[in-house]
Amino acid sequence: MNDDYLWDKTGQPDPQIQQLEEILGTLRYQPKPLALPQKRNYFPLLAIAASLLLAILAGGIWLRVRSRNEAPPQQARIETPTPKPEEKPVGTPKPPVDKAAVNPSPVVANNRRRNRPAPSALPQREREEALMAKEQLMLALRVTTEKLHLVHTKTQPNQIKNQHRVG
Amino acid sequence: MKTLFHINIRTTLTAVLLILTPVLSAHAQQDSRIQMSSLDHLAAKASQTIDVNIDERLMRLASRVFDDKDEDEREVKKLVANLKGVYVKSFEFETEGQYAAADIEPIRTQLRGPGWTRLVNVTSKKEGMLEVYLLFNGDVVGGLAVLHTDDKELTVVNIVGPVDVDKLARLEGQLGIPDLGIGSPKNKTKNDDEK
Repeated sequence: MNDDYLWDKTGQPDPQIQQLEEILGTLRYQPKPLALPQKRNYFPLLAIAASLLLAILAGGIWLRVRSRNEAPPQQARIETPTPKPEEKPVGTPKPPVDKAAVNPSPVVANNRRRNRPAPSALPQREREEALMAKEQLMLALRVTTEKLHLVHTKTQPNQIKNQHRVG
Repeated sequence: MKTLFHINIRTTLTAVLLILTPVLSAHAQQDSRIQMSSLDHLAAKASQTIDVNIDERLMRLASRVFDDKDEDEREVKKLVANLKGVYVKSFEFETEGQYAAADIEPIRTQLRGPGWTRLVNVTSKKEGMLEVYLLFNGDVVGGLAVLHTDDKELTVVNIVGPVDVDKLARLEGQLGIPDLGIGSPKNKTKNDDEK
């Protein structure tokens, strides 16, 4: 038996060795091109996350600027001076509706219908705030309707005159 | 790679637009809000001041305490349901000349802006000048402003949001709002008769 075959594949091979060679030959190293695992592309996700963050930041800044621009007090302020003894001249009477609508005391006096308990169950503090807001809202609507009335009374005569002209 | 870059840009832009659209539209709705801070200093000279600032939050809060069983309150609740804010500044002075035209100019400048239309302008010696402005967002009324300048009085009313002027006129005589005779034909006839 010559062992050269085991060293340099020369000489007569042993059939058992040959058989082993055939069996193990399937597991022999076979050269292949290098294939690295492909990296996942996170760029779109990162881009969306960045744009979301940017939008939230922009929204936050805008809300802050907006709230800063808004007037801080959220309640009506009505200031009346101490009444003076002298009376106003009688020559220039104003419509009786005007002062009655703007004057704060009638506002308070006419509140009896508005101070009913709220139908919805609001916390006491929130309810008080809501009632105060409602008072202000009614005051604002009163002033608005008063001004619209003035506009109406000033424009109505002209309309009537025009109607007569057409007639 | 170039295609991938284009897709990423497109995705990013779409996301930004989707997020910013509500923010921008909300900002556009706020355009009918008039800044009245130029009048604040007049409070010191005024004999009577009315200063009402009701923003959207307070408006929502106020509408929660309206009594739905009461017909009048229901009407007011409906009117203010979609409003974003109501702001009033009114000053009454003891003497004439307490404010200058320059004080009102910032407000007039805003009312000359895009969207605002002067609906009525009435000038009389007795009542001064009364102007009614409406802000139109397309065909929809997006805000109302009333400016009343008299020798001894200055009033600015600003209603932000889709205000129904007819409904507002119909509020007369309800909830302590005096019956002023505008809106219903019945009232008009009555007022005309009185004249």
